[in-house]
Amino acid sequence: MKKILYKAVAILAITATISACSSDDNNESVSGTGKIGLKFDNSFGSNDLILETQGNRTSNNEVLKITNVKYIVSNIVLTKTDGTTFTYPKAKSYFIADEATEAGYKFILSDVPAGDYTKVKFGIGVDKEQWQLGASGQGDFLAQAQAAGMLWNWTAGYKFLAFEGNFTSETVTTAIPFMIHTGQTGTDYNYTEVTLDFPTKALVRTNISPDVHIITDLSKILDGPNKIKLSDYNMGGMGAMIMGGAALPLITANVATMFRVDHVHND
Amino acid sequence: MKKIIVLSLVLVCNFTFATTVKDSISSFTFQRLAMMEDFDCDACGCSASGGSMGFSSMLNTNFVGIRYFNQSYTSRDGIFANSPWIDENFNTVQAWARIPVSKRVQISALVPYHFHNRELTTGTESISGLGDISVMALYTVFETQKDSTVFTHKVEFGGGVKMPTGRFNEANNAGSVNKSFQLGTGSWDYLLVSEYVIKRKNLGLNTMLNYVIKTENEQKYQYGNQFNYSGTFFYLFDLPSVQIVPQLGFAGEVYATNRQHGLDLPNTAGDILFGKFGLEVGKDKFSVGVNGMLPINQNLSSGAMEANYRWSINLNYSL
Repeated sequence: MKKILYKAVAILAITATISACSSDDNNESVSGTGKIGLKFDNSFGSNDLILETQGNRTSNNEVLKITNVKYIVSNIVLTKTDGTTFTYPKAKSYFIADEATEAGYKFILSDVPAGDYTKVKFGIGVDKEQWQLGASGQGDFLAQAQAAGMLWNWTAGYKFLAFEGNFTSETVTTAIPFMIHTGQTGTDYNYTEVTLDFPTKALVRTNISPDVHIITDLSKILDGPNKIKLSDYNMGGMGAMIMGGAALPLITANVATMFRVDHVHND
Repeated sequence: MKKIIVLSLVLVCNFTFATTVKDSISSFTFQRLAMMEDFDCDACGCSASGGSMGFSSMLNTNFVGIRYFNQSYTSRDGIFANSPWIDENFNTVQAWARIPVSKRVQISALVPYHFHNRELTTGTESISGLGDISVMALYTVFETQKDSTVFTHKVEFGGGVKMPTGRFNEANNAGSVNKSFQLGTGSWDYLLVSEYVIKRKNLGLNTMLNYVIKTENEQKYQYGNQFNYSGTFFYLFDLPSVQIVPQLGFAGEVYATNRQHGLDLPNTAGDILFGKFGLEVGKDKFSVGVNGMLPINQNLSSGAMEANYRWSINLNYSL
């Protein structure tokens, strides 16, 4: 009988040993390049954004139905565990996030050095340096922005964010349009950058293409550090059009707070 | 509806009993009241795997049998407050056996076949196939021998292995919240089991603790280790021709965080406590059991997943 007990103990010991040496394979040799996807998933508060039909309430008790959301994501910089950074080539580093299209949902970066990444930094809009290269220095992106309606004209420049729909409020009982377009004004350039930490490391490998799932909370455009009331911009009852003036830097500051990484898939 | 199904199954089974050859002397005695067969339905189809289902025979220690069990979950398909909740149905038919190799050692085996489905907004998704086969050895450390004592005790320890015979498909884990819509964990997992049964006359209490060590599978996914516990009171009505054993108790499961490529995956840990109730009826060498489990308290996937109920029915043949 003792023998059997010993055998049982032996089996348990072996079991424990086998399971103990399961996974410490993070020091597998990391070389080559891979891909990483940045998904821009728009929400309004905690709810997924639904265009056209969903009423979204702001802290100022205005109810927004959103019909169009686009923003330019640019100048991606990824930070590794050891603090070193990888700057995505500037020529390829412009992307138009668009709620209405599949192509505007996920920005895939290719030829990214394999490594463990912990942060992403990106700009909203087109930086001044790039714009100062002139129309000929914009490559394909100029035509792309034009097609998406994200360019006023060359002198006026790019629209960094387009946020459009209609709204009602306590004073506006029949829905009227609103349009918020950010971009440069005579006094402010309004390009902003954000840095987001990943809750889980993104493991870029030749055979692993992580997806970083970013949630863009659009409620922050009006309800960020600065509270913007659309009714205050209702010009003669025709709608609230915010495309310049003192409101743009306030909205730009709000835009910088609307992103967070919900999770990272390492598939 | 489910109640009606259960009831009719009970009736059908009772009818089956009634037609078996009559044996005036029952082959069961109180001494044969067994420990529960507990270790998991470590199903898959299961992050909330039903590891604590613990259903089985209070009547026969050694048996071969077949069991069907159903688990119902509702999971949020997405990461937003307005993401849709979808129903998930996990069905398993399992052949199982507990075979003595010596007076104190028994070998147990479970061979599950799963057929799961869930109602996504894009349509119904179904998977079916062989699940993970488990084999384990149980050793009786202590058993009261004298009939004269007021209380009798039995203590068993065991260990075993769950083999990756069920298919693990990484794609099933990509989108939805429930990370257990799978036929298997895809990994070699190890089981440690303990059971303690105390009885006084016709009343007994079965308690069990078990722990499942899960390893990383080939796709570098690793389910969190799982701790299961349960306590079940049972009472034997030893009638001249049949034994009837009603059961009432609780069962709980605690899940550690899943990992992928050695990294913790958020919102995959959780715990759940069930109330459980059942009835087992034995006649001659056959026994039929019906069990149900309803959650008392749960916190699965940070609230993005809810267990609704589980129920099972089994038919065993005593060896």
